[in-house]
Amino acid sequence: MKQFRSMAYPYIIWICIMIVAPMLLIMMYAFTTKGNDVTTFRFTIQNFIKFFSDDIFVDVLRRSLLIAVITTIICFIIGYPTAYVIAKASGRKKIMLIMFVTIPTWINMLVRTYAWMGMLQNGGIISKLFSLIGIDNLNLLHTSFAVVLGMVYNFIPFMILQIYTSLSKMDYSLIEAANDLGANNFQTFIRVVFPLSLPGVISGITLVFLPAVSSFFIPKLLGGGQYVLIGNVIENEFLTSGDWNFGSAISIIMTIIIMVSMYITKKIDVGAKIEGGDAK
Amino acid sequence: MKKHAVSSKVLILFIMIFFYAPIVYTFIFSFNSSKSLTHWGGFSLRWYQKMFASSDMMSALWTTITIAILATAISTAVGTITAIGLSKSRRVLKVFTERTNDLPIMNPDIVTAIGLLMFFSALGIKKGYTTMLLAHVMFCIPYVMLSVSPKLRSLDPNLADAALDLGATPFQALIKVIIPQLMPGIISGALIAFTMSFDDFIISYFVTGNGVNNISILVYTMSKRINPSINALSTVIMLIITIVLILINIIPLLKKKEIKE
Amino acid sequence: MKKFIALTLSAMIIASVFTGCGSSASSDSSTNNESAANGNKTLKLYNWGEYIGDNVISDFEKQYGVNVISEYYDSNEMMYTKLQAGDEYDVIIPSDYMIERLIKEGMLQKLDKSKIPNLKNLYDGVKNLAFDPDNTYSVPYFWGSVGIVYNKNNVDKADLEKEGFGILKDTKYKGKIYMYDSERDSFMIALKNLGYSANTDNEDEIQKAYKWLQEVNDTMDPVYVTDEVIDNMANGMKDIAVSYSGDAAYIISQNPDMDYYCPKEGTNIWCDSMVIPKNAENPELANEFINYVLSYDAAYNNSETVGYASPNADVLKDMTSEGGEYANNNAYLPRSGYDKDEIYTDNEVLRQKLSELWIKVKAGK
Repeated sequence: MKQFRSMAYPYIIWICIMIVAPMLLIMMYAFTTKGNDVTTFRFTIQNFIKFFSDDIFVDVLRRSLLIAVITTIICFIIGYPTAYVIAKASGRKKIMLIMFVTIPTWINMLVRTYAWMGMLQNGGIISKLFSLIGIDNLNLLHTSFAVVLGMVYNFIPFMILQIYTSLSKMDYSLIEAANDLGANNFQTFIRVVFPLSLPGVISGITLVFLPAVSSFFIPKLLGGGQYVLIGNVIENEFLTSGDWNFGSAISIIMTIIIMVSMYITKKIDVGAKIEGGDAK
Repeated sequence: MKKHAVSSKVLILFIMIFFYAPIVYTFIFSFNSSKSLTHWGGFSLRWYQKMFASSDMMSALWTTITIAILATAISTAVGTITAIGLSKSRRVLKVFTERTNDLPIMNPDIVTAIGLLMFFSALGIKKGYTTMLLAHVMFCIPYVMLSVSPKLRSLDPNLADAALDLGATPFQALIKVIIPQLMPGIISGALIAFTMSFDDFIISYFVTGNGVNNISILVYTMSKRINPSINALSTVIMLIITIVLILINIIPLLKKKEIKE
Repeated sequence: MKKFIALTLSAMIIASVFTGCGSSASSDSSTNNESAANGNKTLKLYNWGEYIGDNVISDFEKQYGVNVISEYYDSNEMMYTKLQAGDEYDVIIPSDYMIERLIKEGMLQKLDKSKIPNLKNLYDGVKNLAFDPDNTYSVPYFWGSVGIVYNKNNVDKADLEKEGFGILKDTKYKGKIYMYDSERDSFMIALKNLGYSANTDNEDEIQKAYKWLQEVNDTMDPVYVTDEVIDNMANGMKDIAVSYSGDAAYIISQNPDMDYYCPKEGTNIWCDSMVIPKNAENPELANEFINYVLSYDAAYNNSETVGYASPNADVLKDMTSEGGEYANNNAYLPRSGYDKDEIYTDNEVLRQKLSELWIKVKAGK
């Protein structure tokens, strides 16, 4: 099997050019002071001190992480059963369902978010539905609910796709074996199916959590500007105040924090795999 | 078991309503006669007229679709092959690649975008269609790899060896044995890559030039007033997708019939 | 075999990188050659999105036998970032303070006024503005003021006249206001209401304005919006909104309950103007384009489509006189010559400070 090893090399060269090199430029900005110029290169950690010495920035980061965690949890709770149902469906129906889940993401995110704004605002279709049951003048737009809803809406297809992937083509002999050994459906699920789907769950969490932390348009539009998240701060540093150095520093701080939390998740993944092995 | 079937139908129904409500909303408002995106002013086709008359929108549609298809094809192929190669590689390389792959997913788009902008500028590369494609391939591959890797891990390592022992070349083992096993992962990776490419704004914005725009760029830079033609455009995209899907599903049926006859 | 696969792949990837760059360069030069051969040129226009008349570009293309390609931005800083990275454009339409900065940094070239006879059409109020005193580098494209759109039925005009921008702090209207999500405009409002200059860099005054905005955020329950304000106010969602005059003109045309007010303490007058960057490939055509935009027909079409105030004196007159599109609309034509009104000046340190404070205002609570 070592034959295939070399197939990874070209891509490693590619990421060095296309990902690592640009990231080094960002690193350079983070550790230098103003002056978008290589010639005025001056090393400093001032940008990092500035971030941590201000409660507001730390607060915003905490809030962003919290919203991303909530989003991820909701995506998981709704996404897992959905993926399970899809994976159980028969051939053609399965493909149709997967396409149904994916197609909405091919309409521009901003267009869909605008549609949500129209539906959520006072006088929109949702508030009209609620007024039928006696709740009048409900305004959901510009609330935390709207922000989380928007994020779940945007990211849940990724969760469903990832979990579906790991559930389909699962080795069903294991499930039969468990059933033969007298496990009921629930036990089979908890001890066999779920542990086997964990790699997909982890991928799904990665694909929801990472973009959710740094998302920018959704809090801006559905949160009405008050919901400043870390993505908004970074975007603002680059595009409004023009302080690339500070913007780069914030993004590096965020990267490190997320990397650490991902590392912990991966550890849990490994632990769970050992447990899954026991179930076998 | 029956209870199961009912509850799963309810779940799917709920998800479909959730997913398609904004799309239906967009569809309805593409026929709105007023400029408002939230209030209905009567039926009209003016936004469709405006859309088809706008050469900007038509060329952006072309750019978006071709870039998405090319980026998806390239990144799916490269991503799958790399993931397979990586699963047999040394741990260091694996960890390095995985962590590096996380960067474009995790970084706010603006950071990736500025990094690439400065990078392309430093190299003096002319920006346009090719740079946009390169950037899309760059950020799509990690998604493909993330989708393929879980399947790879649950792959029986003896499978390929068995194929090799039976005299298959490594290439045959790859095509005939490994890739079919990875298919669900490859498909969902490709779908996600397509989505990412289709929807990307900030990275595309900063790596493009010479008048090459995609739909997202047009939508996001409508700073002075949202032009409802984007609703019309979205409806048209939806229509194209539906037609393609119906064709894909009907052609095999027709072929089957032909064979039977 | 494995080597073969590896080699092919790396060759493919490297080739794609290099031929990619090569082909984009070569295709560019080929289009250039082609256009040179045909005698028709290409104008690269970098403009705000949805900021040009429906027919202006197609008419210009027809009349001059040229080809126009457009790119768009939605903030001056976005535009500046790309310009600084070396991207080439022939005509850009930045705002006042950004033009000041581009001039300072030597990124613009002087206009060839012999090619722009239509300069004579300019309205007096937009000639020779402070950021470019002799219109050496720039020609106005659209202009306007920042003010308050309010619902005549629910807001007492006397309150507005008494409090000016201070009405945004009047708890009588709590929960009924839209703030505009822009640090410069928000601080301008606070500074003006406190009686300071909108361009101040006095730390004490800025801190007072910061407190002013915090108070609005904490007591008034405002919603921070940008373009949504247009649609929402046209539908009467709230009673008071900070708005640009051109947007206000549209809102009023859609909803007769609304009116526009520019406070006595003064406000910001802004002006987006056409400029030609130093690295423009086709400056000659750029001058011709600027001249064309100043013509009556193009200026009329622009103002008609976008709804912002034209720099063309005749267009302004026709739009606002009896029978014109904005005859009884007191938001369309911004006031000019009022000595408390100010144009923003460029100050990088100030910009960064305000932008950070603004994030803090919004993130507070």
